Amino acid sequence: MYGELTAVDHIDLQVFSGEVYSMLGPNGAGKTTTVEILEGLRDPTSGEAKVLGIDLRKAYREVRGKVGVLPQLFEPWDNLRPPEAVSYWSSLFGRDMDAKQVKNLLDLVGLGDKQKVLGARLSGGEKRRLGIAMALVGNPELIFLDEPTTGLDPQARRGLWEVIRDLRKAGKTIFLTTHYLEEAEELADRVAIMNRGKIVASGSPDELITLHGGGTILVLRGAGEEGLKAVGSLGLQAQMDGRDVQVRVPPLQRTKDVIANITRANIPFKDLETIRPVLEDVFFNMVGGKLVEGVVKP
Amino acid sequence: MNRTLADLKAYGKGYMRNRSGAFFAFIFPVILILIFGAIFSNTGTKTTLNVQNLDKDALGNDSPESARLIAGLKRTGALEIKMIPSDVNIDDYIRDNSLSVALQIPYGFNYSVDHNILANVTVKGDPTQGSFGVVIGVVSAVVNQRNIELLYGSAKILVHAQNIGSEQFRYIDFFIPGMIGFIVLTSPMFSMASVCAEYRGRGYFKLLASTPLTKSEWLISKILWYVLLMFSSIALMYVVGVGVYGARVAITPLAILLIMTGTFLFTSLGMFLGIFVSNPESAAAIANAIGFPMMFLSGTFFPIEQMPDFMQKVAGVLPLTYLTQGLRATMVLGNEVTAAVDLVIVLVVGIVFFVLAARAMSWKGK
Repeated sequence: MYGELTAVDHIDLQVFSGEVYSMLGPNGAGKTTTVEILEGLRDPTSGEAKVLGIDLRKAYREVRGKVGVLPQLFEPWDNLRPPEAVSYWSSLFGRDMDAKQVKNLLDLVGLGDKQKVLGARLSGGEKRRLGIAMALVGNPELIFLDEPTTGLDPQARRGLWEVIRDLRKAGKTIFLTTHYLEEAEELADRVAIMNRGKIVASGSPDELITLHGGGTILVLRGAGEEGLKAVGSLGLQAQMDGRDVQVRVPPLQRTKDVIANITRANIPFKDLETIRPVLEDVFFNMVGGKLVEGVVKP
Repeated sequence: MNRTLADLKAYGKGYMRNRSGAFFAFIFPVILILIFGAIFSNTGTKTTLNVQNLDKDALGNDSPESARLIAGLKRTGALEIKMIPSDVNIDDYIRDNSLSVALQIPYGFNYSVDHNILANVTVKGDPTQGSFGVVIGVVSAVVNQRNIELLYGSAKILVHAQNIGSEQFRYIDFFIPGMIGFIVLTSPMFSMASVCAEYRGRGYFKLLASTPLTKSEWLISKILWYVLLMFSSIALMYVVGVGVYGARVAITPLAILLIMTGTFLFTSLGMFLGIFVSNPESAAAIANAIGFPMMFLSGTFFPIEQMPDFMQKVAGVLPLTYLTQGLRATMVLGNEVTAAVDLVIVLVVGIVFFVLAARAMSWKGK
């Protein structure tokens, strides 16, 4: 709680070993507060939180050496070079690394050619990569990445996605917060949509899309009024869009079965287009607005 | 301990790559020593007296009586005698060289004394200057003594002046311990206040909180760094002060302990101040607000005894006063008892601020 504001309100979540769990939501939704509670950096006013089986309220110090943390808007030390920063961090975790190990780690995050560059001179994406390298020095089972790509250009963002995918392949468990829908959709095994301190939906991207995406839409190009009547006679919901007819595939029905029914009914159309809902539609349906750069817009 | 050393190494590396940190730790104090040394290195308790002796023989040698007078003036130990060429106009010379006081021994001085004719020596100068009064007093005393000798054959009572310090006390000797106090105050306190604000603002405290490093380890690493930095900086100042200006200050065990405890005190005070500010600009403002009055009121640049009474009372509650006082006591005057008492005061105040900083500093979010 921040004064009267309840930042995180009775949320219940479980992250499984080896998965990428993404907490998706707008700015101020409570994502960072949740992550900081789980990192042991913030005390919850009530409730229970366990990380790697350790109760944070009783022994958060134990968690420190076992998790990797990339805070939101991470900035490295201006006057340390990447190998120095990694070496420093590894010493803090009691795992001194030799020069080769440091280089391997920097190679892993794509900073192998930035060994001589001071932290202040790294680009935004390179700084986050260095942050991820530092988060990995303790060889943690669990890594918290708090909005790792916020503020980065699309190319740098996609580069970081590759790093995160590699970590996932290496068997790391990743707790990722983001306000980019496509990031959650690209990377996450499971997604929790958070808004105003509450988790409003959670599941795998496919599950969320199936349950909350509003169903697939089939567009029958040039079908006209005749097509609309014919579709209606099949018991399907449809609407006109110019000369096109938009048919909503009901939840729990397979799209290919609906297409087969339409084809059998000899409904005249020039072309058929399938529009599959994405996480954006799920977010719109659950929160009531579009998520644009961390802000909900109607 | 390994974590403390790792933090010390990383912090030190970053600090030395920061040009402003290195400037204030090494270059700035040396510049101050060079400037103040150049201005004051020749001034001490002695007043300079420029003397023009017109009473010379055909070979240009001082007459016996004028030579005796000049020697008498030198013997007092109160004046530093510099000679003005006898072929220049003394009034022009005084004006051209901005002298506040000069003495002229006239032609025929020796003759007049030998023949019991009244002989005048002339003190020329600005009576509003303190040195004028000193010169009048010293010249009168020496002349009176000579008059008595001439009257009775020899003087019956003489004043013997003796230095109480190990060597002659000069401003540069006074200044170097003050500068050490100044640098022990500024670098650790100003830096730490800013560092704490920067660490909070850029999320470094939260980042560190996610590691096994403890707050105490972090605090100790900073104190160790500033102790090392201060010793390096002070060694440089010492070399410049002694090498360039011949300062007579001793590096004693108590001086070393005072430098360590002073650094501990002002690093802790900087951390304490840094807790209450959220950005480096505010930290600099608050450190300036506290640091600048302290450096001027604590006898860094001039003796506390010269300040008005109320300012002396203020100086009495400032920790820097005890640091500079203790450093002067042990480095210049050889008064180890005073230095030891000051050391204890600095240590106790340092412990208080360290405990306050450690308790008030929070790395975790609220």
